[in-house]
Amino acid sequence: MTSVLDDLRSELGTRLLQVVQKNPRRAYVKLSDADLPAAAKFLLGRGGRLATISGIDTRNGVELLYHFAFAPEHVMVTLKTLLPKPLPRTASLAGWLPAANWSEREIHDLLGVTFADHPDPRRLLLADSWPEGVHPLRRDFKGLPDENRGSAAGAVSPAP
Amino acid sequence: MMKPSLWGLKKSPWVYHVALSPCNNCDIEILDVLTPRFDVERFGVKLVGSPRHADALLVTGSINRHVLPRFVELYRQTAKPCVVFAVGSCALSSSMFRDSYNIVGPLDKVMKEIDPAAIVAYVPGCPPKPEAIIAGVVKALKAL
Amino acid sequence: MVIGYFFISVAVVLILGMATSWVDRKVTALVQARVGPPWYQPVADVAKLLGKEMLVPETSRAMGFALAPVAGFAAACVAGAILLGMLITGREFAGDLIVLVYLLAVPSVSMIIGACASGNPVSVVGASREMKMLLAYELPMLIVLVTTVFRAGGDFRIARLVAHQQAEGWMLLSASGVIGFIVALVSIQAKLGLVPFDAPEAEQEIMGGVMAEYSGPALALFRLTKMMLLCMLPVLMGVLFLGGFRMRGWDILWSVLKYMAVVVPLVLIRNTNPRLRVDQITRFFWGPMTVLALAGLALAALKV
Repeated sequence: MTSVLDDLRSELGTRLLQVVQKNPRRAYVKLSDADLPAAAKFLLGRGGRLATISGIDTRNGVELLYHFAFAPEHVMVTLKTLLPKPLPRTASLAGWLPAANWSEREIHDLLGVTFADHPDPRRLLLADSWPEGVHPLRRDFKGLPDENRGSAAGAVSPAP
Repeated sequence: MMKPSLWGLKKSPWVYHVALSPCNNCDIEILDVLTPRFDVERFGVKLVGSPRHADALLVTGSINRHVLPRFVELYRQTAKPCVVFAVGSCALSSSMFRDSYNIVGPLDKVMKEIDPAAIVAYVPGCPPKPEAIIAGVVKALKAL
Repeated sequence: MVIGYFFISVAVVLILGMATSWVDRKVTALVQARVGPPWYQPVADVAKLLGKEMLVPETSRAMGFALAPVAGFAAACVAGAILLGMLITGREFAGDLIVLVYLLAVPSVSMIIGACASGNPVSVVGASREMKMLLAYELPMLIVLVTTVFRAGGDFRIARLVAHQQAEGWMLLSASGVIGFIVALVSIQAKLGLVPFDAPEAEQEIMGGVMAEYSGPALALFRLTKMMLLCMLPVLMGVLFLGGFRMRGWDILWSVLKYMAVVVPLVLIRNTNPRLRVDQITRFFWGPMTVLALAGLALAALKV
């Protein structure tokens, strides 16, 4: 673990806003979203694998966590950024990191984060009948208006 | 004197398994029901591969927005008369997922909108034991 | 008068077919250490199917879709009338064996036509598999038929085959007969669509295959046709190899035993084998089975 963090520090220096090592196998590194692509590219070159991207809507903004797994060292390093609401945007990694493709589409659907230059920005998870622009995992989501609660009368058959 | 087709329906219910994105525990229990240990062929129950051959739909999982139009289509393709069995808590009442953003509602609410004359039977449990599923099917057929 | 015999024969074939179908399911259940369905199960199945609505898909060709099961059922009825009518009343005509074999192939063709008319890609897959299987198993079956006729003196009449066997002993008791019996048994397994040769109707893979779009009375007709074939093909085997069926006195019990001696191996093979892929089936029938059948034909030519 320390070798990975040391390499990250020597590469990015002061651009790492905060490094927390929770236990010998788990570390969280906070960055600004402009520095995140560089850090991700470095970790990928260092031998890491993007396991997944997760997100949570907090009081201060939408926090995105990029989890990188390092198989030989058996450690996991997570890069965190905080994106300001109401229109959180960040650069997309999917152009050069295929593992990020679906995770970014999912986060866009559920949390409303826009990933600039995503190669395939289609809807991934939500149903076709779900209205555009409503993101269910946001803190202020209180449910759709009742006529949209997917009644069978409004059900659209999938195209043959 | 019972109509021969009604007698036939009670004595030979062919089953089609409809899994509407469940957690699959109910599906595992349904699979167990169809093994030789529980021998449902005594009741004439046979698993069929196409909904058009089915008399009983074993529905597991709670209905969500994605699956709703497909389930409507599948129900229309099942030859009537047929009985729809809501197997497991998710189909009965959406269980703990009731307030989720993607859930439409329990099976019987959806069935009332698709086809008010539908016959719906309930097999509670999470998941229901194979014996419970058999008991539910037999009781429903007796009440037809 | 003839109409009366026709209906009686069809009724007998239907009842025997349903009984054989029940025997099949009961023996399967006993092999799997369970109880199995009650004796009236096939009747309940048909009664239920006749009471359900018949769904005709929008993308299907309705005429072909609806008429295919009727054509198959009609062919099976006429074949039953020829076979059983002859066994009951003794009326026969020259070449009735050929007509019988031809009519027994029509239900498979009607299933293919019905499946192709269904407008469902899954049915078309089932239809193509059924076509391949039809081409595969008919070849050794026909060679075996020619072998039995050859041995019996060259006349294509069922009554002549039976008479020859009554006079000179069962076909089964000769070397070519044994080979022919084995090949014919396996071919009949394929003709009836029983595992290991039930690829066209694979439930788990292709949703019922040829019959995926059928429901209600049309499905009932297909199943009745299958049950009639399940009765007629063992009877044909008995006639070709086991000396025919005499229905007088103690011979009735003997005939039942002969019938069971053909049906029970079919059921046991069905329960102990996995399903073969359709290319394995064609390779099996055009390879070892055809070679075996030709060997039987050669032995028959040498009067062995």
